[in-house]
Amino acid sequence: MTALIETAHVTRRLIDPETVTLVDDACLKIQPGEFVAVVGPSGCGKSSLLYLLGLLDRPDTGSVRIDGILTDGLSDAERTHLRLERIGFVFQFHFLLPELTAEANVALPIRRLGRLSRSQADDRAHELLAKLGLKGEAHRRPDRMSGGQRQRVAIARALANDPAIILGDEPTGNLDSANTRLIVEEFQRLAHEEGRAVVCVTHDMGVAAAADRRIHMLDGRIVPEPGPA
Amino acid sequence: MNGIGVLAGIAFAHLAVRTRQTLVAILGVAIGVGFFLAVSGMMTGSQTDFIRTLIDTAPHIIVQDEQRNPARQPAVTAWPQAAVAVRGVRPQDEVRGLKDWPAMLAAARTQPGAVAAPSLSGAVAVRFAGRTEPLSLNGIDPRIEGQLTKIEASLVGGHLTDLEARPDGIIISRPLANRVGARLGDTLLVSSSAGVLQRMRILALIEPDARAGFYAGDNAAYGLLRTAQVLFARPNVVNQLHIKLGDPQAAEGVAVTLEARWGYKWVSWQERSRDIRNLLVVRNVIMYAVIAAILLVASFGIYTSVSTSVTDKRRDIAILRAMGFTEGDVEGVFLIEGLVVGVAGALVGFAFGSVLLEVLARLPITVQGKPLELPLDRGLRQYLIAGAASLASALVAAWLPARKAAGVDPVDILRGAA
Ligand SMILES: Nc1ncnc2c1ncn2[C@@H]1O[C@H](COP(=O)(O)OP(=O)(O)OP(=O)(O)O)[C@@H](O)[C@H]1O
Ligand SMILES: [Mg+2]
Repeated sequence: MTALIETAHVTRRLIDPETVTLVDDACLKIQPGEFVAVVGPSGCGKSSLLYLLGLLDRPDTGSVRIDGILTDGLSDAERTHLRLERIGFVFQFHFLLPELTAEANVALPIRRLGRLSRSQADDRAHELLAKLGLKGEAHRRPDRMSGGQRQRVAIARALANDPAIILGDEPTGNLDSANTRLIVEEFQRLAHEEGRAVVCVTHDMGVAAAADRRIHMLDGRIVPEPGPA
Repeated sequence: MNGIGVLAGIAFAHLAVRTRQTLVAILGVAIGVGFFLAVSGMMTGSQTDFIRTLIDTAPHIIVQDEQRNPARQPAVTAWPQAAVAVRGVRPQDEVRGLKDWPAMLAAARTQPGAVAAPSLSGAVAVRFAGRTEPLSLNGIDPRIEGQLTKIEASLVGGHLTDLEARPDGIIISRPLANRVGARLGDTLLVSSSAGVLQRMRILALIEPDARAGFYAGDNAAYGLLRTAQVLFARPNVVNQLHIKLGDPQAAEGVAVTLEARWGYKWVSWQERSRDIRNLLVVRNVIMYAVIAAILLVASFGIYTSVSTSVTDKRRDIAILRAMGFTEGDVEGVFLIEGLVVGVAGALVGFAFGSVLLEVLARLPITVQGKPLELPLDRGLRQYLIAGAASLASALVAAWLPARKAAGVDPVDILRGAA
């Protein structure tokens, strides 16, 4: 079975003005159906790794394969298309377009992909929101919703084009425990029942514990799980 | 076109939440377009009117019995290599006449839509009640001359064709008639340089400020060609051909071609009015400079509007990129924002400009006690130019910030926000 995400010796540096190594020689493999947590102290490079996996950033050395496709040589447009089709992002802050309703936000990537008509896109957006318990909120704008509701809209949007990969950067960072549990259960379902790869950066021990596996990072490097102190 | 639709949706959403800035930017374009329509409507309107007067005033082409270059002396032609000095060459008689004029007339008449007439013009003196005035008498064929110029519209008391029934008839200007104290129906004594005297009866008067008419000056007068030939003692001689063409713009080309073929001086209306037309070019340059300045100011409005939108929406840009929108998509969103402002501004400007033109058209302007209607160009062309110019400036103005938006690195924004 091909891994959905596979990196080989990925390194990313910034010169600002002295060189900062964000991600250092990272090798990892994530299979379909896996829910993986990325943990580590603040500033260790978790978000930076996620941007590389999501093709928002390019490594200086090393390579990233998405669903078996080597992405290093692809143009920006090709990488963007791959992201549109196969990767869904969820961030700590909901990151919805404030001018659009929940439904319109979720419909954006569907309409951009252009495989469905406008009304089909709206129907699919509505359906996704309903699955996440937001039937009544579909025509509300984000500023009229609670934090938990917004984050569920963001997940619905990440799922819009039925991507094989879900990337979350502290998606529960701003939520109470009840909402956190709701989202963790959704991530587990997405991985275990729907066979997607879910990668979730988190500080929350509970979220990390709910994952199938944890990737530990320290100073940009992936390190083995530390034994009990 | 799902792609454009979704980008337009985002652009409209951006504009809708920034109603005031959007309206101000639209208003900027609208004012620019409105004033463009008013100013260029007046300028082109008056210019068209002026050119039409230039064209209508006199025949499109006048052939005169002059040469552009002095004739080569036979001695020079005979010995082209030799240095020949010719002294004591005298110009021929004043009223010489065009040789071969019937053939030239026939050639002129083969031009599309052409009307051509011979005439014999020269200086005469008129006497009435003891007063003498110089006159330039044009001996014409009244029936054809009436089709050549708008003189007929300037006549009071009679018609050009009245000359046919009265070979001793003359038509003079009202100011000249006043100067010598003559009235319609009076008989003047006319004498030519050839020493011929003739009594001529005033059949009609030329009104100087007749609307849409044609006035060649106080001292121009009209009579029958035959009568003029008798007066100047030049039977069968003609010293001018008057030509009107179907297409006035063709006059210059036709004049050059026929002059090369027949010799003499074929003067088109364009040649006659070259200095004035050069002035019009200067006037147009000034007008377009002013218009460009107005549109430039309007495009500053669009630039500011789109550019603040880009700054405000950096987070949205990062979200869109993370979702899978390309740099081109992001550029498209902001270009559409500029375009929407440009189109809306042009439409409002069309309405505003139409109102301005309507007001100008109704302005009660009087010149020398007579109401004057401003010549306005309210043609579709003006609207098309204004629309195209505002769209082009909107696109250019939006393009710069849109490029900037496309260049935003989503990772920078995401790091900053996290
Ligand atoms: N623009 C930048 N210039 C210099 N250093 C940067 C820049 N952006 C990030 N860094 C550094 O890169 C390192 C990795 O940052 P990153 O955001 O990936 O960490 P993180 O593990 O996600 O941290 P957190 O848990 O706080 O979100 C940090 O040490 C940070 O200070
Ligand atoms: Mg982070």
